[in-house]
Amino acid sequence: MNMSHAIAPMRTFSSVLSRTPARQCQRFISTATTTRPTVPRLQAQLHQPVAQRRTYKTVEEAKSKYRSGPFSWKAGLLFVLTGAGLLWYFEHEKQRMQRKRIADATKGVGRPKVGGPFELIDQNGKPVTEKDLKGRYSLVYFGFSHCPDICPEELDKMAAMFEKVEAERPGALKPVFVTCDPARDTPQVLKEYLAEFHPLFIGLTGTYDQIKAMCKAYRVYFSTPSKVEPGQDYLVDHSIYFYLMDPEGDFVEALGRQHSPDQAAKVILDHMKDWQGKWKKD
Amino acid sequence: MVLGLFEQSEADKRAAEVRAGTVAPTRSERQKCWMARDGYFACLDRNNIIDALKDEKAAAKACKAESAEFEKDCAAQWVTYFKKWRVQDIQKKARLKELEAQGAVRMDVNTDFKARE
Repeated sequence: MNMSHAIAPMRTFSSVLSRTPARQCQRFISTATTTRPTVPRLQAQLHQPVAQRRTYKTVEEAKSKYRSGPFSWKAGLLFVLTGAGLLWYFEHEKQRMQRKRIADATKGVGRPKVGGPFELIDQNGKPVTEKDLKGRYSLVYFGFSHCPDICPEELDKMAAMFEKVEAERPGALKPVFVTCDPARDTPQVLKEYLAEFHPLFIGLTGTYDQIKAMCKAYRVYFSTPSKVEPGQDYLVDHSIYFYLMDPEGDFVEALGRQHSPDQAAKVILDHMKDWQGKWKKD
Repeated sequence: MVLGLFEQSEADKRAAEVRAGTVAPTRSERQKCWMARDGYFACLDRNNIIDALKDEKAAAKACKAESAEFEKDCAAQWVTYFKKWRVQDIQKKARLKELEAQGAVRMDVNTDFKARE
């Protein structure tokens, strides 16, 4: 605004200058200085309005360009749709990459960082190894049947999230409960205990050393005394995470108390959607 | 009559086993224990007793009936555990209240190492 105001007097001033007799005199006086008179002309050219340079064939053409401008409703719609599409795509890809990053970050190069081979028995006394869990995702939880408050709550939550996953992808997830208290949690005890939470829960137990190895492999802290007097009651302090393992037995993600069953089920289902490997079919 | 007595003694036997921790409580036994616990804690609240283990005499005097119920329906280990848990829970809540009074903002903390969308 200020500029144009400043330029306008300048132009008139320069044009006035070019018409003054002084300039004409200059020409007469010295023909050698030919560059000088061009200066005011250049300035005048620079200040010409840009629009004036455009040419239109007809008046109608010029008018129509002014009426709609470079934007038509078609162009606008295309712009909005493309924008929305790209936004959705990038957001979708971002979330997928984030999940992939979580899954990859925890996938060990050689030996898995969490999880690994184990030999335990289930609530029916049948031997179970890590091979039996392959081909499906598994949700592993550690606890003990004499647990006062947290494990029962978490197992109810585990049953809820399992149901949600099962509703969308039947047979894709195995819910596994591993006891940290093998001295008291025999297959029979586990069978009765887990039946109250979900009939499809797999309960695993073994010798103290087997359980100790299992807890170590899953980086689970537990405080079960190794030697228990008969009839001695005790509580077990232990980690309270759900470990999501992929169909190859590699650790994917830990789900904690902060996840509601809905959130946890969504996390699990999203990981399943990303899985490119093999699935076991019954 | 004989059958009734038999059933009664079976139930007593089971309750004694739960108390001793030789059997794992069932869902209904857990519910029963939690209800007895809540009743006992409500009594401690009414009498301004926080630590029932430290103020054993005051707790026994003020909440005799509730305590008996609590100890009858829960494993002995659970009774001790819940009493300790109560102290920690009260301390935690008091600390949170104190922090909020100081203008701290409550956060939904995710203790995962990785970011979640």
